[in-house]
Amino acid sequence: MEIRKIKPDRFIYLFFVSVVYIFLITPLVIVLVAAFNSGKYLAFPPEGFSLRWFKHFFQSQPFMDALKVSLKLGILTMICVTILGTTAALYVVRHAQKWKNFLRLIMISPILLPAILTGIALLLYYYIIGIGTKTFFGLLMGHILITLPYAFLNVYSSLYNFNRSLEEVARSLGASQLKTFFRITLPLIKPGVISGAMFAFIVSFDQFPISLLLKGIERTTLPIQLFDYVRWDFDPTAAAVSTVSIAITLGVVLLTEKLVGLDSLRW
Amino acid sequence: MVVMSFRIPSTSKPFEPGFTLANYIKALTDPYYLNVLRNTVLFGLVTTIICLALGYPVAYHLARTKSRYKGLLYAGILSPLLVGVVIRCYGWIVILADNGLINDILKKMGIIQSHVQLMYNYFGVGVGLVHVFLPFMILPILGNIQGIDPALEAAARSLGASKIKTFLKVILPLSLPGIQSGTILVFVLTISAYVIPILLGGFKVMIMPTLVVQQVLESFLWPFGAALALIMFTAAVFIIFLYIKIMARLMKGVV
Repeated sequence: MEIRKIKPDRFIYLFFVSVVYIFLITPLVIVLVAAFNSGKYLAFPPEGFSLRWFKHFFQSQPFMDALKVSLKLGILTMICVTILGTTAALYVVRHAQKWKNFLRLIMISPILLPAILTGIALLLYYYIIGIGTKTFFGLLMGHILITLPYAFLNVYSSLYNFNRSLEEVARSLGASQLKTFFRITLPLIKPGVISGAMFAFIVSFDQFPISLLLKGIERTTLPIQLFDYVRWDFDPTAAAVSTVSIAITLGVVLLTEKLVGLDSLRW
Repeated sequence: MVVMSFRIPSTSKPFEPGFTLANYIKALTDPYYLNVLRNTVLFGLVTTIICLALGYPVAYHLARTKSRYKGLLYAGILSPLLVGVVIRCYGWIVILADNGLINDILKKMGIIQSHVQLMYNYFGVGVGLVHVFLPFMILPILGNIQGIDPALEAAARSLGASKIKTFLKVILPLSLPGIQSGTILVFVLTISAYVIPILLGGFKVMIMPTLVVQQVLESFLWPFGAALALIMFTAAVFIIFLYIKIMARLMKGVV
């Protein structure tokens, strides 16, 4: 008897949960459908398959330039942040004594502060020291700042369960400090380092507020270019751009999955 | 480290030499700016509550489900996080626009004659915000519920508590920390969101971040923009502080 009584509210509950799942996934599906749809507006039912929006995208100079800037920025950010984040995490876990928690807080502070405030602060600072928004370097620094916490946290958590006696063994067997690091430490924390790098790239690639404030006039990133486009025009070229961008992100995620497995990710 | 340290001082320092309180006075006495600030905070609170109402059941479901599609569902929740915010907004534009999907379907079904205004108002922005920030609500609560031993539930049930009572007396109190971090995260993200209000709200929905960027990038009123940003930030910190105090009192009885 009791089981039967529970069923209807169990059903309502499951229905509610599925609606939320669908709500979460809908816009992505819509973007993908719109990109391959031949019509100017996405209507129901779709009008037919076409690649013309992709063609439009690849022939558009502003979009291609923006894509190049974004990729360059993402890769450079990833490299710098991985090195900085790993060394910082090593220092905080291993050597920082009473300042440990404080240093950790400082390292993750860029994600605690709204990105738009960080962006404004950096913009004002750049003008005060006189480099303004003219340099690619300034933009890169902004991206490094905002993605550093992700790399730091990932390496940090993989160092936490690290068995230090392995290093001591290597050292006592005559390996130099450098050799110990590259042969023992690095391979063991590799999952953290790689997933941190992946995060850094994805966050940088999709980064909006920082880029908007620091990009300057002569260069633009893909999200900004897309934003400017979508503000005035809804045509499916934007959907094609989105699809390419999603594909790049997905590629990075799959690569990470293949290299280290997604279980090692830390949010 | 050096990179980090310069952030805070550079915000508070006026661009021109000398110091003045005029920016703050202007921001805090002009009814227009106060109104925007109030709207921002209200909007943040409403979004947070909706996210909690939608996110909690999903988090609970995902934490307890034994379905073999669990991985897929998990990916479904994470996927919005990996896609840029502009893209997600674009998805909503396609759905909500005057000649978008919903209006199209409703027209073909003959329910409406002319289009219904679904975006460029608070509704559109609200939909976008809830969608974009829902994962940030689900993930902390999910982590929290996963840490609650299912045996506790079973024990409460076997001692005769009803399903609802078990939930209210056992699960809900134990998941308060997850709720706390989820709500704070969503609130902070909402009141500092910039892209969504612009794209889905046009210029009709004016909230604090939009205003700040407008002041800085379009009017070049940097000190004033910085003052506004700091006021917003202070207000947010104050509200969160208050909230943590209240939650601490609530949690005291439990843990």
